[in-house]
Amino acid sequence: MSVGRIGLYIFLAGAALFFAIPLLIVVMTSLKPMDEIRAGSIFAWPMAPGFAAWVKAWSSACTGLACNGIQVGFWNSFQILIPSVVLSVSAGAINGYALAQWKPPGANMLLTALMLGAFIPYQVILYPMVKIMSNVGLYNSLPGIVAIHIIFGLPVMTLIFRNFYAGLPDELLKAARVDGAGFWRIFWEIMLPISVNILVVAVILQVTGIWNDYLLGLIFAGREYAPMTVQLNLIVNSQMGEQEHNVNMAATLLTALPPLLVYVASGRYFVRGITAGAVKG
Amino acid sequence: MRSLAARLVLSPTALITLVCFYGCAVWTAYISLTRSSFFPNYEFSGIAQYTRLFSTERWNVAYANMFIFGVLLVAGALALGIILALMIDRNVRGEGFFRTIMLYPLAMSFIVTGLAWQWVLSPSIGVQHFVRDLGFPDFTFDWVARQDRAIYTLVFAGVWHQAGLIMAIMLAGLRGVDRDIWKATRIEGIPVWRVYLGIVLPMLRPLVVTCVVLLSVAVVKSYDLVVAMTGGGPGFASDLPGKFVVEFSFERANIGQASAAAVVMLGSIFAALAPYFYIEMRRKAT
Amino acid sequence: MSVNVQGLRKSYGALDVLKDINLDVREGEFTVLLGPSGCGKSTLLSAIAGLDPINAGRIDIAGIDVTDRDPAARGIAMVFQSYALYPTMTVRGNMTFGLRVKRLPKPEIEKRLTWAADMLQITDLLDRKPGQLSGGQRQRVAIGRALVQQARVFLFDEPLSNLDAKLRAEMRVEIKRLHRELAPTVVYVTHDQIEAMTLASRIAVMRGGRIEQYATPDELYERPATLFVAGFVGAPAMNFLPVILRGGVAELGALRIPLDAYRFTSPPADGTPAVLGVRPEHVTIGGPGVAVATETLFMEPMGADTLGWFQLGAQRLSARLAPQLARGIDGAQTVALDIANASIFDQATELRL
Ligand SMILES: Nc1ncnc2c1ncn2[C@@H]1O[C@H](COP(=O)(O)OP(=O)(O)O)[C@@H](O)[C@H]1O
Ligand SMILES: [Mg+2]
Repeated sequence: MSVGRIGLYIFLAGAALFFAIPLLIVVMTSLKPMDEIRAGSIFAWPMAPGFAAWVKAWSSACTGLACNGIQVGFWNSFQILIPSVVLSVSAGAINGYALAQWKPPGANMLLTALMLGAFIPYQVILYPMVKIMSNVGLYNSLPGIVAIHIIFGLPVMTLIFRNFYAGLPDELLKAARVDGAGFWRIFWEIMLPISVNILVVAVILQVTGIWNDYLLGLIFAGREYAPMTVQLNLIVNSQMGEQEHNVNMAATLLTALPPLLVYVASGRYFVRGITAGAVKG
Repeated sequence: MRSLAARLVLSPTALITLVCFYGCAVWTAYISLTRSSFFPNYEFSGIAQYTRLFSTERWNVAYANMFIFGVLLVAGALALGIILALMIDRNVRGEGFFRTIMLYPLAMSFIVTGLAWQWVLSPSIGVQHFVRDLGFPDFTFDWVARQDRAIYTLVFAGVWHQAGLIMAIMLAGLRGVDRDIWKATRIEGIPVWRVYLGIVLPMLRPLVVTCVVLLSVAVVKSYDLVVAMTGGGPGFASDLPGKFVVEFSFERANIGQASAAAVVMLGSIFAALAPYFYIEMRRKAT
Repeated sequence: MSVNVQGLRKSYGALDVLKDINLDVREGEFTVLLGPSGCGKSTLLSAIAGLDPINAGRIDIAGIDVTDRDPAARGIAMVFQSYALYPTMTVRGNMTFGLRVKRLPKPEIEKRLTWAADMLQITDLLDRKPGQLSGGQRQRVAIGRALVQQARVFLFDEPLSNLDAKLRAEMRVEIKRLHRELAPTVVYVTHDQIEAMTLASRIAVMRGGRIEQYATPDELYERPATLFVAGFVGAPAMNFLPVILRGGVAELGALRIPLDAYRFTSPPADGTPAVLGVRPEHVTIGGPGVAVATETLFMEPMGADTLGWFQLGAQRLSARLAPQLARGIDGAQTVALDIANASIFDQATELRL
């Protein structure tokens, strides 16, 4: 091995350490009792690892006044996640198909509008959206936050599927039309079966995106349906008295776990998802 | 009509796009030109909200922070991402391992990222505490808690979160380079680093621009990271426009100021997108 | 069933892709649309199929106006360049999809499937997915999917262009056989003139959204109606000599070529600039026609023939020669231009004179 290559591996190992350290610290600290944290350093290996902090974080940590643990947030996030992902991915798939394959008049305009819409910061439309949502009676409710996730997911989801369907040969649709199939039949029987990969990518993107969302949940879900990220921040940043670092870090890990599992399980799809979501076309 | 079904299917999307994205943005822009404060007040007042905004110290700090944070984050994430991509492109062993570990931060929310880094950098339990315990009692690294340094700690967390994305995008680009180019340069005996600097990276320039745009847009939109990591503090030393707008919209309830600040954010987004449009236009022109 | 297109116009935005197309395909006829890529062949075919809306004109199939009908209601079947097989369905699923959509009874579907699979010798492949088939097999399935429709009008859009040369020749014969056995009306798009010449009963040569000539292959080859057709059809290409027509003589620089043998369709005025087109096989050594003095340039052996190149004044002239004859040729050489079989076009209008 040449000197250059050794240097390369040393640099890569250093970088790997940089990426790993925050997670390692959070994991190690969450397994320690508070005494050990006070006495030692967060970089030290836990002497007697235990899950006490995890249990407390899950079931009895305090978010403001209530002390029911982060499990409340977990179930809220879960209830928000499922319908939001299913509906926003479906909407994206159908929209993308209609735009790319049927090219109705105005398709390009809608596409441009969506593409630019994807760049508008939430902050710019937050206040009017709150007004609209409370006017239709959905503000601070589960259907409300689901609707918000669908709306804000619309540009990226539509663009991902549009790009996929635009990559198919036009002749596929033509052949199916000569065969006499209509809009929906072609979607169900021909387009959807070949979209499995892109569906997986879109689902991963939305699952991680919606689970990790903080701002929309904070504003639109209301106290009752506050998602896990919001509850986590409450637990950690509004605690009075001495910080229970182990409980905080356990709660953090519990919040990070679902998307991390998705990441580990999905491998390459995840990378495709984030690059597709980021590059937007 | 052949596309009737398609039009029907797309009409809710078109309506939502029009109302929720553009309609709301125009609404916000309109509010920013009125006398609104606690309640919306639709009396026109020109650019008064903006002059007031730019004479508010907190906003000026937040707005300046956006540039400090932005320049450092873009430079840092881009440099680290590209270097990592180049290294991984050199057929390293354990590529899968390195990729996995560099990309997992992207699966974490900014809230989680912010909290984890807050602990790493916390003077009482983090790096400073650790190094002091190693036998350097005078070592200080308390940037998170310092007025003049807190904003820089956000950069650590931001680079940590985003470098993997840049690495993935650039690596895909590197792998997409025609293999014949590598063969040709080997035959001509050009050293590897010159091929990267002189040929391959210039080929990937559009990709680099994309990365810069992506990162810049992320900077303008930044919100959760600062909420979790510093809470904008100490005081409002590490505040960012995204946080300013949310707080003035909902907690401090000054809709006029919040709207003006939001419009400035939107303008900043367009400025960040400008290089992209420029490239697109040049591509169409040729 | 006949296919009749009248006054068809089609544009994409400002781009006029089809400009006043008239085409009359008789029952059982094999019509080929031939032209360079981008000239509007596929667009015309899509218009006949009803896949794209048109701006003006009318399309009749079997004497019925189908201009406003859906593709599936026009009694047509279509084969595409990329085959457009449904990737997740088996061959069986691909071939029967259209029949299932039309809710044909099961036994009838099965009967047609067996018949078509038999006809194309793809019975063994019925349970495979398109991804598991070779190019030639995919092509057969695509044709099979059209066959089961038992349509009387078949539309083909460059069906062989994705195959290698050998398979292409094989499938050409196969398509010819199917046409002989089933005698459907066919409109077939290609940019390959060999395909056009071998398959067609009539060829419509297209250029820039217009049909330049619609005629049998022989007529097209022997009496091209326009300069473009003359140049596009035939390989090696026709020789074009720029001449001035004066008193029954073509002036090529100082050279005078008498045109007594040529049958003008419309006698030109004196002094008309024109193009004299002579196919390489009508440039001979010692054959009939007008003898001209040339200088030998070089020989290109092509197997059955050798293409000889000669300098005639400022022009180059190619001649299709027998290889034995070509071997002895060098230096100054007198060649004969067979004017009786030549074509003359008005330089300005590019129309045959
Ligand atoms: N959907 C479309 N939108 C815009 N222009 C098109 C479209 N389809 C075809 N064209 C243009 O119409 C012309 C004819 O295309 P086509 O019929 O596909 O040509 P051919 O099949 O003869 O190669 C081309 O210039 C092409 O660019
Ligand atoms: Mg074509």
